[in-house]
Amino acid sequence: MKKRLVSLLLVASMAFGLCACGSRSSNGGKSSSSAKATKVNTETDTLFVNLASEPAYLDPALNSSVDGGCLAVNSFVGLYTYDKNKKLVPAIATGMPKVSKDQLTYKIKLNKTKWSNGEPLTANDFVYSWNRVINKDTGADYAYLFDVIAKKADGTLDVTADNDYELTIKLASPCPYFNDLLAFPTYLPVYQKGVEAAGGTEPGKWAQNPGFVCNGAYKLEKWKHNESMEYVKNDNFYDAKNVKVSKLSFMLSADPTASYTAYNSGNVDFIDDVPTAEIKTVKNSKEFHCVDQLGTYYACFNVGADLFKDMSPAKAAKFRKAISILIDRQYIVDSVGQTGQKPADSFVPYGMSDGNGKTFKTSKDSYYDLDKTGQQGVEKAKKLLEECGYKFTKKSDGNYKVSPAISLPYLVNEGGGHKQIAECMQQDLARLGIEMTIKSEDWNVFLQDRKDGKFTFAREGWIADFNDPINMLELFSSKSGNNDAQLGKTDAKSAPDWKEYDELIEKVLREKDFAKRAKLLHKAEKMLMDTNAVIPLYFYNDVYMQKTNVSGIYSTVFGMKYFMYATKSAK
Amino acid sequence: MIYTLKRVLLAIVSIVIVSTITFFAMEMVPGGPFNKEKATDPATLKKLEAKYGLDQPIPVQYANYMVKFCQGDLGVSLKTGREIAPDLASKFKVSATLGSIAAVIAIIAGIILGSIAALNRNKLPDRLIVFFTTLGTAMPSFVLATLLLWFFCQELNLVPAWSKDSPNYVLPVIALCVYPMAYITRLTKTSMLDVLGQDYIRTAKAKGVRKNKIIYVHALKNALIPVITYVGPMVAYILTGSMVVENIFTIGGLGSSFVSAIVNQDYTMIMALTIFLAVLMVVANMITDIIYKLVDPRIEFN
Repeated sequence: MKKRLVSLLLVASMAFGLCACGSRSSNGGKSSSSAKATKVNTETDTLFVNLASEPAYLDPALNSSVDGGCLAVNSFVGLYTYDKNKKLVPAIATGMPKVSKDQLTYKIKLNKTKWSNGEPLTANDFVYSWNRVINKDTGADYAYLFDVIAKKADGTLDVTADNDYELTIKLASPCPYFNDLLAFPTYLPVYQKGVEAAGGTEPGKWAQNPGFVCNGAYKLEKWKHNESMEYVKNDNFYDAKNVKVSKLSFMLSADPTASYTAYNSGNVDFIDDVPTAEIKTVKNSKEFHCVDQLGTYYACFNVGADLFKDMSPAKAAKFRKAISILIDRQYIVDSVGQTGQKPADSFVPYGMSDGNGKTFKTSKDSYYDLDKTGQQGVEKAKKLLEECGYKFTKKSDGNYKVSPAISLPYLVNEGGGHKQIAECMQQDLARLGIEMTIKSEDWNVFLQDRKDGKFTFAREGWIADFNDPINMLELFSSKSGNNDAQLGKTDAKSAPDWKEYDELIEKVLREKDFAKRAKLLHKAEKMLMDTNAVIPLYFYNDVYMQKTNVSGIYSTVFGMKYFMYATKSAK
Repeated sequence: MIYTLKRVLLAIVSIVIVSTITFFAMEMVPGGPFNKEKATDPATLKKLEAKYGLDQPIPVQYANYMVKFCQGDLGVSLKTGREIAPDLASKFKVSATLGSIAAVIAIIAGIILGSIAALNRNKLPDRLIVFFTTLGTAMPSFVLATLLLWFFCQELNLVPAWSKDSPNYVLPVIALCVYPMAYITRLTKTSMLDVLGQDYIRTAKAKGVRKNKIIYVHALKNALIPVITYVGPMVAYILTGSMVVENIFTIGGLGSSFVSAIVNQDYTMIMALTIFLAVLMVVANMITDIIYKLVDPRIEFN
């Protein structure tokens, strides 16, 4: 008996000890981050950066991630690049391309530059590198970015080196964003002898170990897998005199706790991710940066889903419209996003060019009044659903009950705040008694189910690869592998006829008059939005933290970070 | 001799079973290693699948894999195109270094603390040890690791949270060894108390054998049997690394590879890692049996 009492007491004291421990830690964590400015790293010859975990490929042709792209643009340089004002500027090219009247032939002169081993880099290196990307044996995800270039009879790209320093490129059809493509990581040159010497069946083998030849500001010197990568300045970089920091050191971690602690402790100068729970505390700090990104976070309906089985296409669109205006986007942005993302009322984001010298999105391109969504949209949504044959009765808590009952399964992937966003939507839809259930899946399974149309309603997001609306709108052509909405892919009677959209996209791709092209793009966006299969929630932005003793790092709207012109002082 | 042969055969059978189940289970999960947010062009995808033999029926893939595996070819990671064998070796080296330090500390400290607790039953040292071991077994490693990181790196700034040079192993070792140490302490204590109550100890005391001799020669040795049972598999686990600890302290070991391989559906990597862990487990169990025999010659294996 006595023994039992003692052990009970012990258990009680332990439980208390644990609680005390727990609360102390969480309080401590909060106060420390809000109170004092973070510790500065004083090693001024090295810039310490955390982007993400280990990149899959350093070969610019094979990379398909944004963090891999950042590494690529800092160790390779192409014909063009972006300056700190996000403006496209010549890099290896001597000036902007000379374009023929029919917009199909581009002539580009190259500066005399060198590879990191001192060998000259010539126009032939570009011919080789680009053809390597489109070669199916390379298996590059981004090979499609070369579709705009015409092909020769033998299937290779119609790109010729007129001499060592002149390049002629023939396009398949006029392309207003071609110059931007020339600065994209997949268009970076690779060192032919290095690639061929590595041999093997793996095309990316040449860039698997430090010491590979590159032509950018930094070259890889050390790589400790899943721990760190160290780049040193490449003295053969064409603009080496403007590279001030001699080493770039990457912390290879995707754990926000680890990177945030390393940042606060002064071990790294720059982190590309801030833990969601900390955003509130650091938001007003000088070290917190938030830049616009060209991309849209959206929810997507499968137009062939069973939910719409007995509806006509028009009725299904009406149903989806009701769901769309029930969602309070501002609340999602304020409570989950927290970094001042702009709520979305169109699919093409703010700031995207229309391919004709103007920005695409103007006040006219609003497909619903954002002020009349969420709570303010309830009555209108109710009316739309009543037109679809649903009946509502008011409940004592002010919400409605719908009959027949609507159950809407929503698919998300693990992590990234997607579940929290889904929960906001769940509450919004509950106002009309719609029961939204949330199903969470592992990343790869999620991608597969979305692609196969094994869902009713799912979260989606798209960050543009280049600055033209076609990159966003092409997703929904029936040929596209990213057409998760299954528009034009399903035989369901409730799905809209999608031939016209496909034709519209084809027309855009061929249109020589860029003013007309912009009009066609607007028409396509309207057509897409009218289906209400795509429910834009907000436009992405990109947050990062950077110490106050560091300056000169800049980022593009595609999320690429340029570190080579950074400077770092001791204080 | 026959026993050893039987053991080895059994070990091979269990490894084959584990690898077969893993292979078919991972193939059953929807999706594949080449799934990307931005869809890969179907022609490229086909080419990739053909290159790695993923276009063949699953039993054929399995047979191909096993044939290659027996020839010592682990293939390349489908995610990074890297050779798996050297990658595995270098990651295991990191995890094993960390793990073996943690295991040694856990075993030695656990046995010592457990004995102290047993010999001072219900006195202050015992109470303290019981208190901390309960805390140690109750606290999940991610909480402990995060606490250590926050306190020693951010608040005290004693060790860097991350550095480009070799990582500091002190904190990860603590994070790794607290749980097994606490567990071993408790095991040792209970089993020691058990043994101390046995007749032969009383006999020894009555004969006037010195206290130290009773404890170290007669009691402890016999009290260690349950501890050894636990330590075998524990060592195998700890050597292959912990995802949580490696992620928090940015250490490139095996632990985080397990998780990322599964999330990425990197089939070749999953297989290599699973088989590796299975082998390690089997070996650890075999060594455990041998140690049993050394500690207690009465134990007979049939």
